[in-house]
Amino acid sequence: MGIKEFLGLSDDDVKKPLPIPTKWSKPFWDAAKQHKLVLKKCKKCGNIDHPPYLYCTNCGSEDHEWIEAKGKAKLYTYAINVYMVPFPFWDDMPYVVALVELDEGVTMTSNIVECDHDKLKKDMELEVIFDDVSPEITLPKWRPVKG
Amino acid sequence: MSKGEFAIIGTGEVPCGQYPDRTEFETAYTIAKMAVADAGINVKDVGAVLCAQHIMSGGIVNDYNTEAVFGRIPEAIGAKNCKITCMTSSGGASSFSIRKTAEGILHSGETDTVLILHAQRFSQFKMDEMARYFAIAGSDCEWEVPYGMTYNSLAAMITKAYMDITGTTIEQVAAVAVACRKWACLQPNAMFNKKEITVEKVLSSKMVAYPLTSLMCNVLADGGSAYIMTTAEKARKVCKKPAYILSDASDYSHRTITRAKVKGFEGLGTFLKPIADKAFERAGLGPKDMDIFELYGSYPVIELILMDALGLVEPGKSGELVASGATSPGGKYPTTTNGEALSFGHTGTGVGFGLFVEAVRQLQGKAGKAQVPGAKFIIENTGGGAFMDCHFTVLGNEIPR
Repeated sequence: MGIKEFLGLSDDDVKKPLPIPTKWSKPFWDAAKQHKLVLKKCKKCGNIDHPPYLYCTNCGSEDHEWIEAKGKAKLYTYAINVYMVPFPFWDDMPYVVALVELDEGVTMTSNIVECDHDKLKKDMELEVIFDDVSPEITLPKWRPVKG
Repeated sequence: MSKGEFAIIGTGEVPCGQYPDRTEFETAYTIAKMAVADAGINVKDVGAVLCAQHIMSGGIVNDYNTEAVFGRIPEAIGAKNCKITCMTSSGGASSFSIRKTAEGILHSGETDTVLILHAQRFSQFKMDEMARYFAIAGSDCEWEVPYGMTYNSLAAMITKAYMDITGTTIEQVAAVAVACRKWACLQPNAMFNKKEITVEKVLSSKMVAYPLTSLMCNVLADGGSAYIMTTAEKARKVCKKPAYILSDASDYSHRTITRAKVKGFEGLGTFLKPIADKAFERAGLGPKDMDIFELYGSYPVIELILMDALGLVEPGKSGELVASGATSPGGKYPTTTNGEALSFGHTGTGVGFGLFVEAVRQLQGKAGKAQVPGAKFIIENTGGGAFMDCHFTVLGNEIPR
């Protein structure tokens, strides 16, 4: 029995919070929907920002381009959530929240999936996968590189 | 600010814990009167009343925030000569930003006496509302919350990284919670002040966000504390033992932890150290001069990272120091003497207020069973968000020349 039935919750209580794309982050989410991982690169100073904001966090310029990432990363650190999470995530426990370092040099907060929890290890090699969580939103997540 | 320009002359505090029937307003009213009485001044001396924001929005809370913003407190306590009211918020760093606001008001000369307070009541919210709010407070709604990120997982990730980098053991991390509980047991207003805990008990408590068990996570609670701040000149006239603000230093790093100014969690200490160094330098004192360390950890690992930055031991060795009992009552480096968020209770923006007020009590010799004999100098810190900033303050009951 899920948390919704167990506690008699409403659909709204267990509705997952999804990203609401902004004008400047929309290209990221549009690409994710196409199962592509893109990053925002400043045209003025070359800095790559993730998350992408209206401004470059290095030089403040708004002039930018989108580059396709290799989709490779290393695990920097992680937590395994097993209790006390918001209701929408209750039935997912245990799940892994992690900081992953992309080859392109940026750090991303995400989930590690398709991995035994006792095999999680700092610096392990990861590759991106795409989770179509709603018709509009696809979340990039990460799994160990096979082989 | 020059050294020892301002001082705290009195404090007030209510017990921290689950008090659903105690409204924020009642708390604010009670602690305000306590602080005025403790300072031994006439309430008509109070020329400004500053309240910190009640964190989390919704229903009745808005009423308190609105009431506080629009001047309910001075009217309620009879501060008939109050000229200025305001509300300040910078999350967990509020206790610092509100004090700097008070310094500005004192500088202006419009008044020489400011009442500063914080009141919180989390128990009116459902557990899930709090879980949701604290997911948002520590994380980005677009980029982190959709992945099921929480404050506990953020702290768990930092703990894991810190252990990997420094070789600190989970037993040493747990020792922070044990030491905090020991202090809390000496505090009448602490939420958990009945029974000490052991490292074994901490590690065998329910796993929440690996590697953190429930006893390594703070508990949200209702509480409030207040103090009276004045100029050093007036403090000397009206107070036998004022607590002087000797120096402070600040820095801001990021909104989202992935954008931290110094990359990597080994860098968190690198970010903090120059701030602590600057605060010590401005006070003309060093870490060895401190009698007490009031560190706002909220999670054990943050206390360790803060201690690493203070230069008491080699960075990465703070876990050993805590496990040795050095930070516990009777130890060489008394730390978080009110039990901190972990055992005193997490009152939202109030954690920093609680530690600050405890520092003042210690310097005034009013800390009861938790009193560190002869405490003269204290370093205190606060910070907010996803460890977005840090503010160190050095206090003393004398002004070093």
